[in-house]
Amino acid sequence: MKASHITAGVPLDVITSVNLKKYYGQARGLEDATLAVRAGEIYGFVGPNGSGKTTFIRILAGLIQSTSGSVSVLGKTPGPDSAAINKDIGYMPGESFYYPELKVRTVLSFFARERGCDDIRMRELAAILDLDLDKRIDALSFGNRKKVGIVASMLHRPQLLVLDEPTTGLDPLVQRIFLDLLREEQKRGTTVFLSSHNLTEVEKVCDRVALVKDGKILLVTTIADLVKQKHKRLVVASAADLVLPGLQKNGGNDRESYFEYRGETAPLLNLLAGANLTDVVIRDATLEEIFIGHYKRGNER
Amino acid sequence: MKLFDGTLLAMELRRSYKGVLIWTLAISASLVMVIAIYPLVIDMYAAIPPEFYDLMAAFGGIPDTIVEYYATEGAMMLQLFGSLFAALQGFGAINRDEREKTAESLYSLPLSRMTFYCTKLLRVTLEVVFLCGVTALFSYIGFLIIDEPIDYPPFILFSVLNTLVFLVFAWLCFAMAALLKPNQKPMAAIAIPFVLYVIYTIAMMTQNEVLDLLKYITPFTFADPVEILKTDFQLEWISMTVFLGLTVFGTVAGWKAFARREFTI
Repeated sequence: MKASHITAGVPLDVITSVNLKKYYGQARGLEDATLAVRAGEIYGFVGPNGSGKTTFIRILAGLIQSTSGSVSVLGKTPGPDSAAINKDIGYMPGESFYYPELKVRTVLSFFARERGCDDIRMRELAAILDLDLDKRIDALSFGNRKKVGIVASMLHRPQLLVLDEPTTGLDPLVQRIFLDLLREEQKRGTTVFLSSHNLTEVEKVCDRVALVKDGKILLVTTIADLVKQKHKRLVVASAADLVLPGLQKNGGNDRESYFEYRGETAPLLNLLAGANLTDVVIRDATLEEIFIGHYKRGNER
Repeated sequence: MKLFDGTLLAMELRRSYKGVLIWTLAISASLVMVIAIYPLVIDMYAAIPPEFYDLMAAFGGIPDTIVEYYATEGAMMLQLFGSLFAALQGFGAINRDEREKTAESLYSLPLSRMTFYCTKLLRVTLEVVFLCGVTALFSYIGFLIIDEPIDYPPFILFSVLNTLVFLVFAWLCFAMAALLKPNQKPMAAIAIPFVLYVIYTIAMMTQNEVLDLLKYITPFTFADPVEILKTDFQLEWISMTVFLGLTVFGTVAGWKAFARREFTI
């Protein structure tokens, strides 16, 4: 097991999990998760539905217990009596449900008092996110309830933010504001662990990312390394095969062919110029396509 | 480790006070009405033919005084509805967070499971005591309205023992919610006092020795208003000890389950 290195009371690895497994009876929640989240980084946890993201996050929040393996959050083991850890964590569930009959202000004040802080930060965050504090929770849209979840998790300026798909349901403008908030928190030294389907947001804000599928972590890498893996995608209006080192055909029909290309641009352009094509589209592969490539390779394994 | 959290208690009470007030006022108003019609009921009793006296004896006999009348009419109604209220409050204390899906946010607060358990149990206790206190007060007002003198010590004793019965239901249903899987319907809690009340009624009505033993499987026995409010009352120690013991055992078992409970909604 990888040990957490503690410096001046703050573990360098804020989250560590080793061979973490969770089964709900016979149903798999998480198969094998080993990862370490360093202090001060924004860590993305990306995977399709049912891959085990929420299960992992709930274990971190002490809401459920693992079946086997070990996990450490801020140097302590989370569990049913995680009060000491929860003090330093800001947790946002995937679905933000709060007391429906109460006003947003009342609910958030309650969370603030339980966390030992006043309402100043609540008002500040509500203003940033354009959240109406005087509305009842049950009158809020899904996106606005998400905002309540964001505010509740950040009220006490925690050391660690654990966010389960925080931007789902937020409009693009609020998503951008939220990502700015995360960067600000990071500057203050906050570590952020977030799960997401939104790869653009992961690319924008995360330092490192773990790719999870079927309860297993397929890949842990930095966003910088992922970006390096970016390659060109070609759509050629021809069924013909093109041959060039680094060029690989990955589909097509009788009218067009699809290629991936890793290499210098000039040889590719020379090849295309001499190929007598009626149309060609060249673009960068998206992060999503890179991830899908990893998923496919994970399945083949 | 602190057992109770004032902020959580205040929030819990705030969330449930409307329901508590509605139940309390509805039962209290019913009690006052039952007592207020006593002068009319005396005349009705006087018109009952003597051949029905034996049947009436199964329900405590024809009451000679206002207190006896209260025991057979008002107090038994109070016991049925009060125990349903207590069971619902106890069961809902844990169950409601899961039904409304607020558990995930709530239990990620920096409070220990022990604090949650004890604070919620305290809230339920306060609500039951509140209902008992207010209904007793309204009963007293009812006696004042019809200007009938009553013997207060048995009335106070009944109120205290009745509160204990309600607490037995509230705590047992609280523990039951902790022991059962999430998302159970509150009807599961209502069934317990309802069935036990029916058993109690059967045990009280029958002259059969075997059926009479049924009274030991229902906590209503140790707060039987007809027995308490009549002069020759003797406390059913066995019934009381068994049910208080069962309540303590259930609460501990509930705690064991709650301490390991997983919140996935």
